[in-house]
Amino acid sequence: MITLEDVTCRYGAHDRGEDDGDAIDDSVLAVDDVTLSVPDGEFLVVAGANGSGKTTLVRTFNGLVRPDSGTVSVNGTPVSEDLVAARAAVGMTFQDPRDQLVSATVGGDVAFGPENLGLPREEIDRRVEAALDAVDMAGRGDDRITTLSGGERQRVAIAGALAMEPDHLVCDEPFTGLDEPARESVLTRLRERHAGGTGVVVVTHDLRDVVGFADRVVGLDDGRIVVDGPPSEAVPTLSDIGVRVPAGFDAAGDDHAGRSDEP
Amino acid sequence: MTLEYVPGDSLAHRLDPRTKLLVQIGFAAAAYAHTTPRGLAVLTLLAGGSLWAADGDPVDLWGYRFALPVLLAAPLVAGATLGTPWFRVARAETAALASYRVLLLLVVAAAYVRSTPVRDSRAAIHHTVPGRIGAFLGVGVALVFRFLPLLRRDLLAAREAVHVRGGDRLPVHERMRLIAVAGTNRAFGRADRLGTALAARCFAWNPTLPRLAFRRADYPVLALGAGLLATAVATTV
Amino acid sequence: MSTRTESVDLVGDEAATNLARAALFAALVGAFAYVTFPNPISPVSVTLQVLGVFLAGIYLGPVWGPAALVLYLAAGALGAPVFEGGSAGVGVLVGQSAGYLWSYPLAAGVVGAVVHRGATLRDPDAAGLATLVAAMVLGTVVIYALGVAGLALVLSLGPVEAVAVGAVAFLPAEALKIAAAVGIVRSDAIAAA
Repeated sequence: MITLEDVTCRYGAHDRGEDDGDAIDDSVLAVDDVTLSVPDGEFLVVAGANGSGKTTLVRTFNGLVRPDSGTVSVNGTPVSEDLVAARAAVGMTFQDPRDQLVSATVGGDVAFGPENLGLPREEIDRRVEAALDAVDMAGRGDDRITTLSGGERQRVAIAGALAMEPDHLVCDEPFTGLDEPARESVLTRLRERHAGGTGVVVVTHDLRDVVGFADRVVGLDDGRIVVDGPPSEAVPTLSDIGVRVPAGFDAAGDDHAGRSDEP
Repeated sequence: MTLEYVPGDSLAHRLDPRTKLLVQIGFAAAAYAHTTPRGLAVLTLLAGGSLWAADGDPVDLWGYRFALPVLLAAPLVAGATLGTPWFRVARAETAALASYRVLLLLVVAAAYVRSTPVRDSRAAIHHTVPGRIGAFLGVGVALVFRFLPLLRRDLLAAREAVHVRGGDRLPVHERMRLIAVAGTNRAFGRADRLGTALAARCFAWNPTLPRLAFRRADYPVLALGAGLLATAVATTV
Repeated sequence: MSTRTESVDLVGDEAATNLARAALFAALVGAFAYVTFPNPISPVSVTLQVLGVFLAGIYLGPVWGPAALVLYLAAGALGAPVFEGGSAGVGVLVGQSAGYLWSYPLAAGVVGAVVHRGATLRDPDAAGLATLVAAMVLGTVVIYALGVAGLALVLSLGPVEAVAVGAVAFLPAEALKIAAAVGIVRSDAIAAA
């Protein structure tokens, strides 16, 4: 369970200090007084236009961004008190997986997180195997990262997060730059993880891929939550805040929940 | 064509990376201690043997062609003198032996590079250099391997972009500036995203170390490395 | 979720980013080895490597700049094709370029220390043109002093001979790199610094 209480994050307050005296006035509220809780096992979509603060918001979940005020807790413990626990419980992938993979080979990369946790080698091997299996890349541990397609890189990034055996998997714009089959494949892996009990949080400006599978959609605009509810309720308001929504959802009260071609 | 790791199952591939590093150090020391025709003849056999043990062949040495002009020029420059006798053969000979010594060092290095994956090199660092320095070097080296091809592509793209916009007419330092700016900005952008990803994955100073263990085949080779080092020390002291 | 969290010695977030920057700069210096320019003054073509050393000092400072170049040397020794002409291996570090290569961390440190006047980084443009140029001239002196000394030692050359082989043809191009680096700093074109 991830819990945010009255969380506010400013941009610029920290790193503009010496340029000019009135830096605080210049600072932008990236996240503005957000209270939110994400239960275990939930498939949550955080939607918003570019610059709406959605990336900053989810980065408070594992302490990559420290809020200027308010508290974030993971499983009851404030993130600031135990960063390692928060980061192990909230796995995260980012845009452009090219820049987040650390090793030359797939297996070496997936092992990076568990190695940092200091797990015994046998446990690491078991987790790497399980994580690769979970993203449909079993037996490809020796493949070189440079030979992978965009979709495969995204899946390796997801496997790297899964190898920490997190309670929640947070994916920031996981579909950007992927072609249709690759999006489909990444989405299928996420749904399988969700079915397996892992909470999934997808951050996106384009709901079309995921809305059919979400338990809940949170819409963010200018750092504030403007809508929070099941997809059927939330989606009609989202196109107003610059989020791309599926065609069938434009008209309010539509009963067509997501893609019909997915059984 | 660049010299790089080639997967395989040769003797050298199966050796522990630390063994191979010790041999290189021993070899270098011996080459500097015994820069005589006889010493270098023996070392030539060893160098050839190491490349052979790594399943390599002379083509691998093509990667070092950039070293050749200096290595060839050195004996000529050393021999040349103003005034009679214009060329001192003895001086040129000394310099030629020194140049040849460098060539041998490169051959042995090629055998290591060819037979050792990054993973092994990283493990060797973690196991030999203790503490945070070891962690810094281990992860850092792995990242250099990982990102070098990406940055090379960034620079090629930048060069292409400068070329397409007629930048070839600019003075050289301006072209350098444009390409360096593009490369540096890309490097910083990638580094900052990478830093965030490292942090998210609990990047720690004390990770579980990669597996590494000497095997039976390592011991004779370790002895060889130690022996080379010993002969070098014996002659110098 | 019970992970033995107290035993994990986390690299701080800032240090993680600094390490990432050092590694990426090391890779950049390596990638610069592949970019050649015609040298207007001599037949030997120029690569951007030394410019990379200058920029590491200027943008990463006197601590992380040298750290980046140490990574560059270590990665090259262990087989990353980052040395001249895409070469690699321990042999290069004890070969004829040894002096130049080993001087890089030192030169980056000198450039960083002069530009930033201490371990805390400041906007390099604030250092002023004269300081900037002086820093890089000093860096060049370090590189060539050690480089030529290395040549003399490794190839059994006398000092004059070593200068003839290792400096005369290359040194003039360093002025171009200093000019390029000044242009980079003055144009304020580096976003992430």
